[in-house]
Amino acid sequence: MSSADIELHDVCKVYRKGRIDIPVLDGLELSIAAGEFVVLMGPSGSGKSTLLHLIGGLDSPTAGSVRVGDAQLDQMSERQLTAWRSRHVGFIFQMYHLVPVLTAAQNVELPLLLFRMSASERKERVATALSIVGLADRTDHRPNQLSGGQEQRVAIARAIVTDPDVILADEPTGDLDAHTSEEILKLLNLLNSEFGKTIVLVTHDPRAAAHGQRILHLDKGALHRDEKRAPRPAAAAVS
Amino acid sequence: MTLTYVLMQNLKRNPLRTALTAIAFAFPMAVFVAAIAFVVAMVRLSQANAQELRLVVRHKATLTNYLPEGNRRKIEALDPDRTRLKAICGMRWFGGRVPDSKIALTNLAVDPDTFPIVYSDLAMTEDETALWHRERRAAVIGSLPASAYGWKVGDRVTLNSTVPPYLSLEFQIVCISPNPVRANFFFFRRDYLDESLVQINAPSGRVNTFWIKCTSVEAIRSLQQQIDAMFANSPDETKSEDENAFVAGFIQATGDIPALMQAMAIVVVFIVALIAGNAMMMSFRERVRELAVFKAIGFPSLRVFFIVITESLMLALFGAMLGVVPASVLLLIFPGQELAKLFGVPIINQLRLSWPAVVGALAIAAFVGLVAGFWPAWQALRLKTVDAIRHVA
Repeated sequence: MSSADIELHDVCKVYRKGRIDIPVLDGLELSIAAGEFVVLMGPSGSGKSTLLHLIGGLDSPTAGSVRVGDAQLDQMSERQLTAWRSRHVGFIFQMYHLVPVLTAAQNVELPLLLFRMSASERKERVATALSIVGLADRTDHRPNQLSGGQEQRVAIARAIVTDPDVILADEPTGDLDAHTSEEILKLLNLLNSEFGKTIVLVTHDPRAAAHGQRILHLDKGALHRDEKRAPRPAAAAVS
Repeated sequence: MTLTYVLMQNLKRNPLRTALTAIAFAFPMAVFVAAIAFVVAMVRLSQANAQELRLVVRHKATLTNYLPEGNRRKIEALDPDRTRLKAICGMRWFGGRVPDSKIALTNLAVDPDTFPIVYSDLAMTEDETALWHRERRAAVIGSLPASAYGWKVGDRVTLNSTVPPYLSLEFQIVCISPNPVRANFFFFRRDYLDESLVQINAPSGRVNTFWIKCTSVEAIRSLQQQIDAMFANSPDETKSEDENAFVAGFIQATGDIPALMQAMAIVVVFIVALIAGNAMMMSFRERVRELAVFKAIGFPSLRVFFIVITESLMLALFGAMLGVVPASVLLLIFPGQELAKLFGVPIINQLRLSWPAVVGALAIAAFVGLVAGFWPAWQALRLKTVDAIRHVA
């Protein structure tokens, strides 16, 4: 399983709305080691999601450099970023956003359609991903036949099926109850501890933050506090 | 799983919208196939008419005005050597119908001596021609009334005229012509009609048209000018035209149907494009976030563009097939003759399935699908993933 370290050096991001420039990140310096589970916290507008997008290659910095593994993202074109993203990044969103007309297995298979791969190999990868998230018995269920927690697990399976270096999660438990949220966070812990994935998690929830090894507190586009935490015990098998 | 499968599944996302959009394609395409089949029938008729080199002379004011039968000799005198004019046949409209029938026959009384020459395309045999000359009540009919009423050669049939003086006459069928272009005709001898008119003191010795079998296209042109010049400024001023122009006049009399069909086709295609475009935009708006996620997980913008536009194309072709297939099957199973009997409209007995029409309908549907899908696909291509993701997250 692959992993990557992340380096941001003097990163600035300014959005232009009409004639108004809106600075979101201001001279950010950040290093995340391969295999770390990092949590980004901060008030709304602090730049958490923007930072996540820069790391994931969804956006480019106005200034500064962003490196993830061997890839220098700030020097890549949009086309190159798209191709890189498909291989190296797994995204998990708050609202899961599964395709409602596809089954769980088909949703997980979607990213694999970008690669030259036999149908049997795709099937094997999908089965593995669904097994890791504990949904091996739900492969033929459509999203409307799954609970919120199960849908998010399918989304996680979709994020990991390409064996990405980095998993980026933007409020993955924002729409879930406490019990289900805990299950999801345990799953992320599993991916980190058992499979060594570098995970960057954006959250407002302190309970979610407690699962990270580091909590980065952002405010007004700058890093205010870098809080290291004791590593959690290996996560129990996901039910 | 393939992307094609994903596209097809997306069409099931909103089954009602997909069904309504497909139906919006189906009906116009079915009408298009039928309309082209009609046009092809008209073209076939026109080609058949052109081959026969017939010139039609009628009263200039209106077809319903009669011309004296004596004008035939004056016209014949224009070409005594018969180098241009083979034969001339006077015809009078009888408009007969079988009682309680809705089939409108092309029912005419004709000059018996020249009729077999002028209408040689009816392919009467020698025996049939001899019987035509011998039997006063002889009738030569097309295959449509024969099959509609189960008539055979030798049968005696009665028709009621739909024009004054509303005679009811009995006929004996001497020939059923195999010519499919003349399938709806019912010809009988004009001397028989005139005798009947005389018996009730109704005016006789008049015709609505003279049909002239010519030797060449040039002969048609020269005779046309001569005849109209001869009768100019007389009570029986004439208008002479070739057979196709004469037939076209009937169609134009009910309105400029070809132009009307063309205008309707353009309007329908435009409306279908609007409906399809609206449906595709609605679908795109519902899926902005989903498409943003597609881009986020690594689908290139161009591929997302093709996903959206291909969906529109597939929907258009699916809808077109929904209309084209039943229309085509109908035209294959029910030949024009059966439809003519069913609807009582003679011209559609020439209707046949036109494969170019089928291909054309699918091509038009594909074009409309591409046009309708282009704008939402373009929006999908230009979709700023980050901006859409912000709504997602």
